[in-house]
Amino acid sequence: MTSSDVDLVVETVRDILTKFEPFVLTAERPWDAGLWSALAEAGLTGVGLPEEAGGSGGELADAVAVVGALAAGAAAVPVAEQLLVAGPAVLAAGLDLPSPDEPLSIAVDGAVTAEPRDDGDGPGSWTLTGTATDVAWAGVARHLAVLATSPVGPVLALVDVTGRETTHAANLAGEPRGSLVLQEVTAAGALLTDAQAQQLRARYALARAVQLSAALQQVLAWTVQYAGERQQFGRPLGRFQAIQMELAEMAGEVTAVAALVDAAVQAVERGESLVLAAAAAKVRAGAAVEVVARLAHQVHGAIGFTQEHRLHHLTRRCWSWRDEAGTETAWARVLGAGLLADGPDALWPALTRAV
Amino acid sequence: MGSNSLTLAPAPRSAAAEEVRVEVREFLAAELAAGSFTTHVDTWLSGVDPAFSRKLGERGWLGMTWPKQYGGHERTAMERYAVTEELLAAGAPVAAHWIADRQSGPNLLRYGTEAQRAEILPRIAAGECYFVIGMSEPDSGSDLASIRTRATRNGDGDWVVNGAKVWTSNAHHSHYAITLVRTAPADPANRHAGLSQLLVDLSLPGITVNPIRILDGGHHFNEVVFDDAVVPGDMLLGEEGAGWHQVTAELAFERSGPERFLSTYPLIAEFARRAAEDQDPAQLATLGRLSARLLALRQLSLRIAGALDRGELPDIPAALVKDVGTTFEADVIDEVRRVVDVPASLDSPDPLGRALAEAQLHAPGYTLRGGTNEILRGIVARGLGLR
Repeated sequence: MTSSDVDLVVETVRDILTKFEPFVLTAERPWDAGLWSALAEAGLTGVGLPEEAGGSGGELADAVAVVGALAAGAAAVPVAEQLLVAGPAVLAAGLDLPSPDEPLSIAVDGAVTAEPRDDGDGPGSWTLTGTATDVAWAGVARHLAVLATSPVGPVLALVDVTGRETTHAANLAGEPRGSLVLQEVTAAGALLTDAQAQQLRARYALARAVQLSAALQQVLAWTVQYAGERQQFGRPLGRFQAIQMELAEMAGEVTAVAALVDAAVQAVERGESLVLAAAAAKVRAGAAVEVVARLAHQVHGAIGFTQEHRLHHLTRRCWSWRDEAGTETAWARVLGAGLLADGPDALWPALTRAV
Repeated sequence: MGSNSLTLAPAPRSAAAEEVRVEVREFLAAELAAGSFTTHVDTWLSGVDPAFSRKLGERGWLGMTWPKQYGGHERTAMERYAVTEELLAAGAPVAAHWIADRQSGPNLLRYGTEAQRAEILPRIAAGECYFVIGMSEPDSGSDLASIRTRATRNGDGDWVVNGAKVWTSNAHHSHYAITLVRTAPADPANRHAGLSQLLVDLSLPGITVNPIRILDGGHHFNEVVFDDAVVPGDMLLGEEGAGWHQVTAELAFERSGPERFLSTYPLIAEFARRAAEDQDPAQLATLGRLSARLLALRQLSLRIAGALDRGELPDIPAALVKDVGTTFEADVIDEVRRVVDVPASLDSPDPLGRALAEAQLHAPGYTLRGGTNEILRGIVARGLGLR
C-alpha cells in the first residue's frame, strides 16, 4: 500500500460503512462487532502498521484517512486507538503486535504500577498492579497497551484482557470508557523515557484530534445539506442570511481545524517533535466543537435534538472526544509552557517551529 | 466537506522561506537593538516609516514575487509570506509600503500597461512609492458596487474625476491611489458593469486629502476628494468596465495575508512574557489556546500562499481566513484580560497595559477593514453553495 492509495482506502471504508448504520450504544451493545469484522476482513484494522509485524502496511497518512472516514461515519470500533496510538506504541517499544484482527486499545490514565520480573533493559516481563481508568473500549478490546509507572520509569505493557472484569462507564456518546483492575498480572512490557511517555500521550491526543476534524467536517456537511432541504417561510433555511452567517462561522472553524490537524500529522510523518503539534491540534479541534456543535443543533432545530435523527451520533462523540486523551485545558497548559521553553522572549520562534 | 471551494491543498514546505526568515529575524534584531523602531500593535496601519521601508527594499524584501525586469526578485509567495509574518510579529513599521507591496503592485502586474509597470513597480520594490486603496466612499461601504465617483472622458481623451473616497489609509504619505470609478451610468440590471480602475497620481490638481482621525486621535485614514481632477487617459488600469472583476482579484491578495491574524501579535508576545514570569496555570492555558488558534490560522494562510504560487486566485478561502483571523485578533484582548490584572492604558508603566490599550483602541477596525466579517461570511456561504 502506498500513499497514493489514500483515496482508494477511504472509498473502501465508506463502502463498508454503508452496510453498518450508526446505532445508539448501550452497555449491552457497546460497539459494532459486525463492522469490526468487516474492516478486519478487508485488512483495514492493520493499515499503517508494517506487514512484517502482521499489519497491512501503508503510511501514517493511510491510517489517518481510515480513522477519519470511520469517525465521520460515527463508527463504534476501536480503530483510532489501534492504528494511531496503541499499535505504533507497541511496535516502538519493541513488543510483539497482536493480530490486527483482535481489537487493541490504550490505557494512559489511572494508577498502574509495574514491577520488573527480570533485569533486562530491553523488552521484558513485568507484574502489573492497580487500576487503569477511562480506558477506551474497556470490555471490547482484546488487548490493552497500558502506560504504567515503575521504580525505574514509565513502562508500556501489553496486556491480554480476555475475560478480565471491567467496570462499565461510557462517554457522552455511549462509547465504553470503563476501568480495569489489574492484580499482579504478568505482562510483556518495555521501559520508556519520560519523553517517550509524553509522546505516547500526545499521539493519543492527536488521534482524537484527527477524529474530531473528520467528525466536524461531517457535521458541517450535514448541516449545510439540511439547510438546503428544510423549507420555512416558503424557502430553504440556507437562503436566510442569519443561517448563512452561522454556517459560514461553522465553516471557518472546521477549515481551521482541518488545516492544523493535517499539518500536525505531516509534522509527525516528517519525524519532528510531536508534543506541541499534537497539543495545538487537540486544543484547536476541541475549541471548535463548542461552536460547530452548538450551531449545528441550532440550525437543525428540534429534530436534531432527538435520538431518531443522526446528528447526535457525531455531536455527542465530539463533546466527549474534546475531553478525552487530555482536555483542551490540560493540553493548552502543555502548549503554553512548551512554547516558552526557550525563554520569555522566544515565543515567536517557538510558534514558527511548533507545527 | 468534499467538493466545496473552501479547502486548499496543504502548503509545501519551503527551505528558501526558512532561509529568508532567518535573515529577516537577524535584521529585525539588529534594528531593534539600534533603536530604529519600537514594537507596536497594528503597525501595518499605523507604523509609517519611509526610511524603514527603503531598508526593506534594499534587502530585496519588497516586490519579492515580481519579475526582475520590474525590480522584483522572482521569489515565491511562500518566501514573501515568511518575510511579512516576521515583520508583523516584530511589530515593525511597515505601513508606508504595505498596500503597494501587497496588492497594488500585483494589480499593476496583472492589469497595468507596460509603461505603468516599468515606471512604478521598481519604485514600489525599492520602498519609495506608496499606494492607497480607492474603493470605499462616504455612501458606499460594504455595498461597493454603489460607488458614485465618476470618471468621464474629455475632448483630449483624459479622465475627469469627481467624487470622494474614504478610509484611504495613509493617503497623506502616499503617491498613488488605485481608484474604483464609475465610467458608465449605473445599470440596475447589472450593478457590477460600468466600473473601472484608474491609476491616480495623488499630487494632481483637483485632488484634496483631508484627515479622518480614528477614535484614539490617530491620523491614518483620509478622505480623498476629486474635484474635476484630470487624470491622463493612459492611466486607466486594465479594461474599461472591468473594474469589478479587477477589484475582486485584488481582494484575494488583500484578504489572505498574515496581517489578518497578527495585528495584535505584539500583545500576545507581551502577555507571554507575563505568563513566563508568573508561571500561572490559567495564563499558560490561555497562551496555549491563543497559540493553537494562531497556528491554525497560520496554516490556512500558508495554504493560500501556496495556492497563489500555483497561480490560483483563492478568493473564497481568503475571505474565510480573514473572517476567522480578524475575529481572533480582537479575541486576543478579551482572553488576555480574563487572566491578567492589568488595566489598559497608553500611559501605563507596564508594557502589557500599553499593548492592551493599543490593541483595544484599534480593535473596531480589525473586523471591518478589507470587507466586514458579515460580507466575508456571505462569500463563505457562497462557497458552501448557499447562494
